Amino acid sequence: MRNEQIQTILQLTIAITIGAVVGAIAMIVSGAPVITTYIQMWNGAFGNFYLFSSTLANATPILLIALGVGIAFRAGVFNLGGEGQMVLAAVTASLVAIYLPGPGFVKVLAAITTGFLVGGGLSMLAGWMESRFQIQLIISTLLLNYIVVLFASYLVSFPFQDRTGSAALSQTAMLDPAARLPKLFTGMTVHWGFVIALLLAVVLYVMLKHTSFGYDIMMSGKNASFAFYGGVSKTKMMLHSMLISGGLAGLAGVFEVLGSQYRFVDGSLTDPGYAWSGIMAALLAKSHPLAIVFASLFLGALHTGSLGLERNTDVPLEIANVIKATLILFITAKFSITWWQRRKKAGVSTSGTV
Amino acid sequence: MELFDLSLLHSTMRMFTPILLAALGGLLCARVGVFNVGLEGLVLIGAFSAIVGNYFTDNLIVAVTVAMLSGMIFSFLLAFMTIQLKANEIVVGIAINFLALGLTTFLLRTIFDVKGAFYDSSMRGLPRVDVPLLSDIPAVGVLFQSQTPLVYVALALPFVLYFFLYKTVAGFRLLSVGYNQAAANSLGIRTNAIKYGALGLSGLLCGLAGAQLSLGQVTMFSEGMTAGRGFVALVATMLGQSHPFGVLGASFLFGLADAISTRLQSISIPTQLTSMLPYILTLLVMFFVRGRGVETNYSNEQSSR
Repeated sequence: MRNEQIQTILQLTIAITIGAVVGAIAMIVSGAPVITTYIQMWNGAFGNFYLFSSTLANATPILLIALGVGIAFRAGVFNLGGEGQMVLAAVTASLVAIYLPGPGFVKVLAAITTGFLVGGGLSMLAGWMESRFQIQLIISTLLLNYIVVLFASYLVSFPFQDRTGSAALSQTAMLDPAARLPKLFTGMTVHWGFVIALLLAVVLYVMLKHTSFGYDIMMSGKNASFAFYGGVSKTKMMLHSMLISGGLAGLAGVFEVLGSQYRFVDGSLTDPGYAWSGIMAALLAKSHPLAIVFASLFLGALHTGSLGLERNTDVPLEIANVIKATLILFITAKFSITWWQRRKKAGVSTSGTV
Repeated sequence: MELFDLSLLHSTMRMFTPILLAALGGLLCARVGVFNVGLEGLVLIGAFSAIVGNYFTDNLIVAVTVAMLSGMIFSFLLAFMTIQLKANEIVVGIAINFLALGLTTFLLRTIFDVKGAFYDSSMRGLPRVDVPLLSDIPAVGVLFQSQTPLVYVALALPFVLYFFLYKTVAGFRLLSVGYNQAAANSLGIRTNAIKYGALGLSGLLCGLAGAQLSLGQVTMFSEGMTAGRGFVALVATMLGQSHPFGVLGASFLFGLADAISTRLQSISIPTQLTSMLPYILTLLVMFFVRGRGVETNYSNEQSSR
């Protein structure tokens, strides 16, 4: 194995170990036995086929967002706007699927397309502001999150609120049964969005590895001056990767609406923190599309596992967020001394893909 | 009800305090060349710790101290990760924000056994005090009446920081780390120690900001109650070009937006739309900000790396 691979595995192992230790401490704080609680957590995620399918359903939006964040990382940009892109796409897609006349598959296709474009467009807006006005992408995408989430909440609380029920909840009307993504197995939560997300992971992997577009993206992320010398426009690459990145985050929102909620409910996408888990998955997997699949499954399992804890033990489900945050805290830390020496010799600056 | 009056400025004073305190923390980080995305999380930790301290000791001085110390501890964690373990400072900053959100909601459940928000009527908030001379000024004197002591501390801090940074040797040393760390190192300045100091102080200020949030108006803690104020503070740092007085002005602008947004809620405009105001203003302000608000070794690099 190459040195880099050893380093990656070392970092991952240390981060996961520290995450598990912090999780254990949190369990002790809430007065629960550590080993049995971890077993409960495992059972909550994989205990039976239904729970396993919930883990897959949960991993779907995480996976899509992570693929998007990953491709942006590869191009050297940090897209923190997954939440806003997902929510805006979800609310538009639900409106398209409800109000567009026509047969079911037309509605589904139109919803998916608009969702991709809306998410990608919002993300490109931030990219454009960075390239044209040097507005920091990390800050602009974060601020857009707040604005867009509030705007979506306004849309479903006032103009497009579902007024059929007795309680005035902040949500749209239900989608036609014909305009829904079918479930993979009857009675289970996982839907076809998961399969599409898996396919997209493979497509992105092939694209990055075997196409000149993928090569250009990697180059502009790894060494912008070299890419420029080779005739690649950094701005163009940034905008393209932001479009794909936001589009994928948009798809995450669309599939949640079409495949599991069947309507846009205010807060249903932001409360589980899908977007943030997506960023974590991309960081854990070092933006490798196939590794992202496993990272997303892992984070999805942490979530369903913590739901199991909430049901069966006194440990609150928020423990999953503590574990996740600890993982991310340590994931880019450089533990190996040899690596550090090499880095010093090469004299690299703080830049480089994450 | 009038939209613009002295009471609007009065609530601006209250609301810009946490932003100003956090932004001054951001200033210290920027001045040693650290782009601290974790301000938001540090303020949240401060807000929660202040409530914990208040609830268990019933002593406001202890509560505020606990808030400052916990802000500082987590800031040291950030410093350790970036300085010692060479972790990516943006990723660590984001992780601190996650950790703050996760930890506060987890502890909210384990300590107080509640979800969402914790409120206890037996808890006292920060006292309201008048500044003896300033509050007697006709018309604007009202701004210096019945505010929490933290408001006045925050107002005084830019002047203290200005004196420290530009009139003392220690301040010059701190600035030199941000201008050129390698050069500062070669002069025998202990750059890492200065970075730890600046980041620790920044955490302390964020802790104070959190205490003003949770004890300043209504004495309570709710999940994610910082609602992006840490990021707004980061923009205030950049807009103020990391100069104490610049940051003071920028924070005032954002505090005013916050106050107007709250005021508009009493008129029949949907709260979702009024709540957008501070974020939209912050985003618009970004068009006038260049770089990270201070000339450092990193300022020419692309922002997101």
